[in-house]
Amino acid sequence: MDNVIVTGASRGIGLAIARKLASSGYDVTAVARRTSDELEAAIAAGKGQAAGALRFAALDLAQIEAMPEFVRQARRDRGPIYGLVNNAGIGTEGLLATMPNSQIEALLRLNNLSPIVLTKYVVRGMMAEGRGRVVNLSSIIASTGYNALSVYGASKAAMIGFTKSLAREVGRLGITVNAIAPGFIDTEMTRGLDDAQRKRIADRSALRRLAEAGDIADMAAFLIGETGRNITGAVMTVDAGSTA
Amino acid sequence: MTTRSIIISQIQQVAAEQKKTLAPLTDDLSLLDSGLDSLCFAILVARLEDAIGVDPFTASAEVKFPNTIGELIAFYEHVAA
Repeated sequence: MDNVIVTGASRGIGLAIARKLASSGYDVTAVARRTSDELEAAIAAGKGQAAGALRFAALDLAQIEAMPEFVRQARRDRGPIYGLVNNAGIGTEGLLATMPNSQIEALLRLNNLSPIVLTKYVVRGMMAEGRGRVVNLSSIIASTGYNALSVYGASKAAMIGFTKSLAREVGRLGITVNAIAPGFIDTEMTRGLDDAQRKRIADRSALRRLAEAGDIADMAAFLIGETGRNITGAVMTVDAGSTA
Repeated sequence: MTTRSIIISQIQQVAAEQKKTLAPLTDDLSLLDSGLDSLCFAILVARLEDAIGVDPFTASAEVKFPNTIGELIAFYEHVAA
C-alpha cells in the first residue's frame, strides 16, 4: 500500500482528501497541529475496512526546523512516501494597507515556506525511489483576484510557480507535481463569507453552485492515482465554473 | 562498509541508472567533471541519507557544496564521525 501524507488534514478540504485517499487504498498520514473530532471519526470508521489506512500525525507546519526529522521518522515508520498533498494553509483576510506585517509573514510562512520545505525533504525520498506524486493546493484566487485577499492570492500564485518548475526538475525521475485550484468551497476557511456573498459567487458560476470539498478530494485522488501518470506541471481548476 | 565505499558505490549506481558515463573516481576529480549532473547529485544526497543516516547539507549550517570527490567524502566522514 502506497504511503501518502496530507497536510492540514484535520478538517475541510484536507480531511476530505485524506478520507478519499484512504478509501481508495492508500496508507494515509493526516498531518495537522492537533487532531479533530471529524478526523478521529474518519479514522475510527476506516478501522477494519478492506481499503487503506488513515492515521493522525502531529506537526505544526510553522515549525520549519522540525520537518527533516518528521519526514525521516515517517519513512522509518512506514517506508517510502509515494504521495504528498500540500493542503495546509491559512486564508487570513485583510486589506493590504492595514494588514499587520506579522500576519503577512505568518501567511506566507504557512502557505509557501512550509510546503516548499516539506516538499524538499519528501521529494528527496521520491527521487531515491524513482516515483512519486506531489499535489499542491492553490486557489482560483491565484489568477482571478478577490478583495482583501491580496496576500493570500500571492501565496497561492506562488504555489503554481513552484509546481511548474518542480515538475520540470523531477519529471525525469517519474515524479509528477501538480496544483489544484479550488473555487470557493464551503469550509471553515470561507466561513467569513455571509450567505449573500456565497449566493453571489454561486450565481456567477457556470453551474450555479459552489464546488465541494469532496470534488477537490476526487481530483487529488485522480492526480495521485495511475490516472494521473501523464499529468504534471498542471493546474486543475475545480470551481463549478466560477472562472469559466 | 566505510563511508567512502558507500559513497563510491552509490555514485556508480546513480550514474548507471541515469545513464551517465563516469570519469575515473579519484579524490581530486572535480564533481563538475565526474559525469553526474545536478539532478544526479540530488538523488545521491537522498540515497546517502538513507545509507549513512545523515544529510550534511541539512545538519551543517555550512551550505557550500564540495568541489571534488575527495571533499565530498570528507564532508560525509566529518558529519558521520
